[in-house]
Amino acid sequence: MKKLFGIILLTLALTLSACTNAEDTFDETKNITVYTRDTTSGTRAGFMEGIGFADAATNDSLLVEGFVIKDNTGIMTSMTTDQFGIGYVSLSSVNDTIKPLSFEGVEPTLANVINDTYGLKRPFMWMVRDAGDYSSETVEALVNAFVAFLGTTDAQDIINNNGAIGLNATQSWDDIKANHPVTQQDNTGVVVRFGGSDSIQKVAEALTNSFTSKAGNFTAEHDHTGSGDAYKRTQDPAIKDTSVGKDVGFASRYFKDAEKVGVETSDFGQLAWDAIVAIVHKDNPLNNVTADDLKKIYEGTYATWSDLLD
Amino acid sequence: MQHVEIPVIKQHKEKRIKDRFVKIILLSFTLLSSSFIFIVAGTILVKGVTPFITNNNGLGSVSFIPFLTGDTWLIGESFHSNLYSIGFIIASTLMIALLSLVVSFPIGVLTALFIAKVAPKKLANILRTVIELLASIPSIIYGLFGAGIILNLVYNFSAAIGYQSKGGNSMLASILVLAIMTIPTITSISEVAIRSVDKNLEEGSLALGASKTQTHFKVVLFAAKSGIFTSAILGIGRALGEATAVSLVAGGRRSGYSFDLLDTTSTLTTIMLEGMKETIGLDYDIRFSVGIVLIVVIILTNIILNFVKRKVGNVNVK
Amino acid sequence: MSMLNKRKVYDITMQSLTYLSSIVSIVVLLAIVFFVFQKGYRLISWDLITHNYQSVTYTADLKEDQESGTFISTKTFDDGSFYSTKWGIAIKDDENLIGGTSVFITYVHPDSPLNALNNKGVGIEDLSVDVDYQIIRVAFDGASSALAIHGAEHMIEVWDSQDSFRELEFSTTGGGIRGSIITTLYLIVLTLIFALPIGVGAAIYLTEYAKNNRFTRFLRQMIETLTGIPSIIYGLMGLAVFVPLTIRLTDATGANIISGALTLTVILLPVIIRTTEESLKVVPDDYRYASLALGASQTQTTFKVVLPNATAGILTATLLAIGRIIGESAALVFAIGTAVKDDIRLTEKSTSLAVHIWSMMTDEPANIELSSTIALIILAIVLVLNISIKLLSKRMLRKQGVKK
Repeated sequence: MKKLFGIILLTLALTLSACTNAEDTFDETKNITVYTRDTTSGTRAGFMEGIGFADAATNDSLLVEGFVIKDNTGIMTSMTTDQFGIGYVSLSSVNDTIKPLSFEGVEPTLANVINDTYGLKRPFMWMVRDAGDYSSETVEALVNAFVAFLGTTDAQDIINNNGAIGLNATQSWDDIKANHPVTQQDNTGVVVRFGGSDSIQKVAEALTNSFTSKAGNFTAEHDHTGSGDAYKRTQDPAIKDTSVGKDVGFASRYFKDAEKVGVETSDFGQLAWDAIVAIVHKDNPLNNVTADDLKKIYEGTYATWSDLLD
Repeated sequence: MQHVEIPVIKQHKEKRIKDRFVKIILLSFTLLSSSFIFIVAGTILVKGVTPFITNNNGLGSVSFIPFLTGDTWLIGESFHSNLYSIGFIIASTLMIALLSLVVSFPIGVLTALFIAKVAPKKLANILRTVIELLASIPSIIYGLFGAGIILNLVYNFSAAIGYQSKGGNSMLASILVLAIMTIPTITSISEVAIRSVDKNLEEGSLALGASKTQTHFKVVLFAAKSGIFTSAILGIGRALGEATAVSLVAGGRRSGYSFDLLDTTSTLTTIMLEGMKETIGLDYDIRFSVGIVLIVVIILTNIILNFVKRKVGNVNVK
Repeated sequence: MSMLNKRKVYDITMQSLTYLSSIVSIVVLLAIVFFVFQKGYRLISWDLITHNYQSVTYTADLKEDQESGTFISTKTFDDGSFYSTKWGIAIKDDENLIGGTSVFITYVHPDSPLNALNNKGVGIEDLSVDVDYQIIRVAFDGASSALAIHGAEHMIEVWDSQDSFRELEFSTTGGGIRGSIITTLYLIVLTLIFALPIGVGAAIYLTEYAKNNRFTRFLRQMIETLTGIPSIIYGLMGLAVFVPLTIRLTDATGANIISGALTLTVILLPVIIRTTEESLKVVPDDYRYASLALGASQTQTTFKVVLPNATAGILTATLLAIGRIIGESAALVFAIGTAVKDDIRLTEKSTSLAVHIWSMMTDEPANIELSSTIALIILAIVLVLNISIKLLSKRMLRKQGVKK
């Protein structure tokens, strides 16, 4: 038993020594650890375009050597640990465990995005199937009504209520609902399938929750798998009619040219903005970055923190 | 007296027919079980071979040898380039799986020994239940634990030895997470094997004057070799195939052979996991090619381990 | 004497290694449980388990004859609620079932016009608000809406400044995991029904009937290679093989629970077969020879003599299997889909608890607290299953007279 005791003490001592916290002053000679999303992320596309580094949106070889790939939550938690890291997240994720940076002197707040002074943002887009391509006329009418709903003040309210930034709308649903008589009938049991970006899942579910109560209580089925699937599951002939096809797809970036081939302009549009914020650890003395700074950090020209802070 | 014998012969015949019937059913179950590997492999082969033999919508086919030996995941823009290679990833995957087994195997087997032989009965039962519980935690949770606690540990540890690690995301973190995940598997299966060792062997050894410890290590463990090896095989299988948990702590290295424990890394499974959302195009099909390589790696590992197992021999096996 | 000393040193070293390893295992594993517990216990509630995932939203406006007035209330609201005398309603900010903040109704004045609302949608005509409903927003003509995200205080301020509202959107509680729990239970039962017979049967064949030749070794090898394949690949196979199969055989239109169970069966077979084989191998040959000598057939020997003695191992295999079923997420994401449902049908998409966690984690931002809570519930379910199977087996074995 004595041996046991000794061993326990030893392990405790080792763990305690490993747990001692880092220094108090920020060491500027350390390398900048760059965190990013992977190439399929709409947030990355928006970020890279916003800092003038659009080529790096889908090209990893242009980034600085030794970057770390994480998802949205991963970047948040990394910034709480890594004193020398820098990353970017969606505005709706920002909390007080990390430090958000101002972009070109503008603070990253909802107000600043609405009045268009904060420049780092990406669009939330929607795409639907071609006219006549639905499983039933009721579904098609409901989808058309939903699209019209997206442009009303009611939908903008819901979008704002969930952390994204709604576009300016003038009409309310009450003003236009007469155009969509399908919403006044009982639609229980009618299934409309929603999918696409998982960044928009919360907003999409809130929108359908609100809309089903206005449109006859149809069933909204949500299956979010990524922005690329917005086009693929509604318009791509190879996939849209399989068991994973959807009626409405959301994407957290602009649609690429390849995704607009054969798609009517009335089949897609924008429903909201989402701001992207560059973040660092709370001990980091940095407060503001320019697009050029960020580009230099991500391509590797700035290698240590002293390059940027001095 | 002849009419007395006939029912007996009839009984024999019935028994034999029943035996054969049961044997056929069981054989069909076995054949079914063995055939699944082909179904799985088939699905992947079909998709995974296309990047190498077709033109990939104008991007050109991927060359096989550079794919296997190169050191950059993708040179160029995704969906616009065919220059994929996974050589460096294969190296990291093997290293991570082996090292995690090096960590989890001794700990797992010794814990199994403890539970089966050393611990008092009540404690053993509780521990056994705890370990079985832990085998059912979803791997995402292990990933969360890794991201929450292990990254911190590795970050502080590397800062303590003067090395700047990237927030703790490293090969070491992956190894630790995988080791933690495989300990329950190795422990449960080894424990069953150890418990089933014939008491006579143990008692015989003690009677010959060996101490309890010597008996445990030189007789019992030796006798349970087969089961313990099985646990190692299943353990390394889990280590090679784990995706979600590792992806949260690995860091996603995209280029460069590296054997640095504290540098970011990628495994074959984490690379596959990332591209699984977009459903067509070269970027998607190439994940299946990675899958084929992974299966080959697993088959080779299995063959090698089984070979070793046979060489080492078995006790009390039919 | 030096021999004894050497042995003592050896003994002590090995003993401490054993103790050390066990402590490391236990400490680490307990750390995980502690971590999950710490993150997740706050959200555990009976409501979370029994409620639907979908919250039902209602859109309402005032009935023609109703209007705002003065509804003085003598109640004191010291729990953080804000009261509007104009409308007779008290609301406050509080945590909802999944850990986010919502605006909850805490009190409605009996004379408040909000007790008789008109449903703007289709369905029941009369609505009324009630305590514990959540207000999403209040919209006005000529003023910007009061949103829940701005807090209860702001909402009361804006509401009090207006004489009428265009519409009131409120919802009942959602975010519950009842559907996922039911799906998980269905999955366990279905998968075991498929996997146990095939797995145990194959193990029996390989140990009792098969000759030790190349073909048998080949079969075993093929089964073992299934172990290392990542779950994603099984998911893809499930999507490519089992989903079309079930679509053809039943009235399913997409991924469904049955295809998920079939996919899980394939994943579990190697584990079940291997563990069963190990426990069958250990049954002494004497039992077999004695039984055969007494005139029993091979079948009788196997099923009545050998198998009961291997029950412990088979149970371990079952428990490991159940653990894997409950914990498996990657494969099911493809084979069952990620649509969280409240109305569970075997031929429809649904989510198991692990897939529900996956769905919560791929949200932006991810809901780590809820994921930990679901993980705790999973542990509780496994614990209960574990103990009950062990108790059942003890009773079963005692009946059969097998000594353990």
